[in-house]
Amino acid sequence: MQNIGVVPKQASIVLAILATAALPRVPLHAAGASSADAATLVALGREAFFDPSLSASGRMACATCHSPAHAYGPANGLAVQLGGPGMDRQGTRAVPSLRYTLNRTPIWSKEFVASAAERILEGEEPPTGGFGWDGRFNSLRDQAVFPLLAPNEMANASREAVVAKLQRATYAGDFRKAFGAQIFDDPRMAFAALLAALERFQLDDLSFHPFSSKYDAYLDGKATLTPQERRGLALFDDRKRGNCATCHLDRKGADGSHPIFTDYQFEALGVPRNPELAANAAPGYFDMGLCGPLRTDQANQMKFCGLFKTPTLRNVAARRVFFHNGRFHTLKEALRFYVRRDTDPQLWYPVSPTGTIAKFDDLPARLRRNVDVIDEPLTRRKGAPPVWTDAEIDDVIAFLKTLTDRDVEMASR
Amino acid sequence: MPNPLKRLAAALLAVVATISASGVALAGEHDSRVPTAAAYVKHVFIIILENKSFSSTFGTSTQDPYLQQTLVPSGALLTEYYGTGHVSLDNYISLMSGQSPTQDTDNDCLPGFTGTIGNYNDVNQTGWAAQGQVVAQGGCIYAKDVPNLPKQLDGARLTWRGYMQDMGNDPARESATCGHPTIGIGTDNTNSGEAPSAAVPLGDQYATRHDPFMYFHSIIDDQAYCNEHVVNLNVLPADLKDERTTPNLVFITPNLCNDGHDGNGTGDPGTTCVNGQPGGLTSADAFLKAWVPQITSSPAFKKDGLLIITFDESNYTENVSVNSATGQEVVDITFPGQTCCDEQPGPNLAGIRPGTFTLLNTPTLEEQIVINGYGGDQIGAVLLSPFIKPGSTSSTPYNHYALLKSIEDIFHLDHIGYAADDARTHYRLNTIGEDEDVFLPGPGIGFSHSSGHEFTSGAKPPWF
Repeated sequence: MQNIGVVPKQASIVLAILATAALPRVPLHAAGASSADAATLVALGREAFFDPSLSASGRMACATCHSPAHAYGPANGLAVQLGGPGMDRQGTRAVPSLRYTLNRTPIWSKEFVASAAERILEGEEPPTGGFGWDGRFNSLRDQAVFPLLAPNEMANASREAVVAKLQRATYAGDFRKAFGAQIFDDPRMAFAALLAALERFQLDDLSFHPFSSKYDAYLDGKATLTPQERRGLALFDDRKRGNCATCHLDRKGADGSHPIFTDYQFEALGVPRNPELAANAAPGYFDMGLCGPLRTDQANQMKFCGLFKTPTLRNVAARRVFFHNGRFHTLKEALRFYVRRDTDPQLWYPVSPTGTIAKFDDLPARLRRNVDVIDEPLTRRKGAPPVWTDAEIDDVIAFLKTLTDRDVEMASR
Repeated sequence: MPNPLKRLAAALLAVVATISASGVALAGEHDSRVPTAAAYVKHVFIIILENKSFSSTFGTSTQDPYLQQTLVPSGALLTEYYGTGHVSLDNYISLMSGQSPTQDTDNDCLPGFTGTIGNYNDVNQTGWAAQGQVVAQGGCIYAKDVPNLPKQLDGARLTWRGYMQDMGNDPARESATCGHPTIGIGTDNTNSGEAPSAAVPLGDQYATRHDPFMYFHSIIDDQAYCNEHVVNLNVLPADLKDERTTPNLVFITPNLCNDGHDGNGTGDPGTTCVNGQPGGLTSADAFLKAWVPQITSSPAFKKDGLLIITFDESNYTENVSVNSATGQEVVDITFPGQTCCDEQPGPNLAGIRPGTFTLLNTPTLEEQIVINGYGGDQIGAVLLSPFIKPGSTSSTPYNHYALLKSIEDIFHLDHIGYAADDARTHYRLNTIGEDEDVFLPGPGIGFSHSSGHEFTSGAKPPWF
């Protein structure tokens, strides 16, 4: 059906946002109309994604941190990864999985309900979407620039430096075929072409969304959950206790599509400060997510400080690092934090000699009120019983293991 | 021309109609019900916008020049048109069925506030009250036997469709036809807009709570029927091409941005819709500018159409004060809740309306919502039609129940719910088809509050 009226206008605005005005349009047909179609872009993007020669160290590819065998998440249990020219510079945030979320991540937005009454009555929605823990990128093209140039990641000095490496890559000829023989004559265009290829690969390649977990088979009626897994699912869904499914959506979509286990919304959990991060040695350093320091455009929004985007839980049981700062290294520990954050805060936060607990210590004191104390299971008082026993946590873990894709499960054996 | 005998006859018939206020129409009543040229209307188009006060929409706002400066002079402005409640959903339901709110529909089915069921769940009906009102203990989806306008149209072999902008843009969020959450599943994910993504380039700002058809089992339980009747707005242009494909009732709900619900219309950072559009009356005005000409140039409208543009409810006033005893800043968001037209609260609002709801009470801040009545306050409406006197104004009071009654009159249907008069309580609604201030003369004599309405020859309709 042809769209008319305001629809095309919206579409053009949205597409402009998604395509990123800051980057030049790539002459996809410069070297022949059929050579730079989506499949070609995917193939080129795959080459680049796995190519360590695109880094200053020559040892770091996108896939170094985003390992396909680990659901495009980290292959190790480091809180944050090492990069830079000497592969010795620490990052500041745990590496997220790239599986499942990329196609459906909305652009970063904060819905503004015009009526204050409805905002209050119906609950103000938190910000949503964007790529990265702080949602600061609205497209994968934008996002890819960051690791390519970040001094503690692939550490290229400039876009031109990236293109110079790309020009020497084994697949440089394929780039010329796709984008024209002179593509490398214009580093700006060549860099944009690289970003387009990386984006297309991550959006289209089936390895990013295989839907091959036991839970997928269960949703299709091709597998049954064990009693323990069923108990775990019930605990996961129970709004009065675990309440996990409110943010980590676990039901089929209206069209029967399988859930991604995130609502892409931002949340302040009050995860404890992680001493494993070198940056945290500075007492005045705080990674506050939405309000900075990496993200800068919301720096004045104090109510956004401490909020990070909800990750998918698919393949979570295969991870060895949890939350934005990698504070926890086992799933059981991460779940215990959820259910005992408030009942046993001394387990997680520093306790002064006088017995004062510095709850939510990874935020400046004045901003700790941003942490969620409204939604279950984050409402409990100190000393109250946690919503789950250790045995129930094991049940939930059993359920979460059903979210592991078949290839990830095989690779971990 | 005015004829005293005709006026007397019409008045007598009106009395008879009042006596028959059980909801059963009398044979031949129609002509008396619609004495103006509204009697010739065969296609009714409705566009519902969100949450704006009459004084702003048709007065102080600079965000809606198309509505104020183009549509109002081209049509009729009903200055005393009122919403029937706060907040949104109850207004849509009153317009579609004449039902007053349940403890949940009065608050968009947010659970645990004024109702105990909430979300997308069935009305817990415990009985019936006068004028076909459902007595309920909360809930939102009405049982199959609750009358509504769509089913009335079916019964009269008339056609209808609901056109919902964005519905199904994200097929995982809701279906592109008859889109609603699974009953009983909990949170309605259509309560907030979805921003664009690679998979959903236009985003999805459809809201079930602005789609009244989804709250009647008589519609949603027959999937094929519902799919046929409640569709995405992008179907409308094709339906408008031919009179035969244009439903008798065209009900249009823009998305959360274009109905003015989201965004404040300025486009300032932090005040926009999820897709970055300004929202508010700015986006609503752009929507009207894009869609109204398509409607008014359609064969069905040009022949016998009537377009009604109105809002669900009015806005609030915000008062900030300091509690001298506690030192707290007190923010009162107040809805007057004014009614018109002898509106009744219905059987379910005891203890809820009027009401004051404290939502936040900290040592420094107290936020409360004050709803001083059960009405929806003054919103206004614009009518466009070949049968309307361009630039006319009527101060006759109307509300959503009155509009339902008006549509029922136009289509020769019974009156249901609070659209039906009740002689016992002297409850009788005005209907727009009687309003000679705005409609050209028709087969009978209606009422007029203006002194005389002799038309110049140029303004006379062809049949005059």
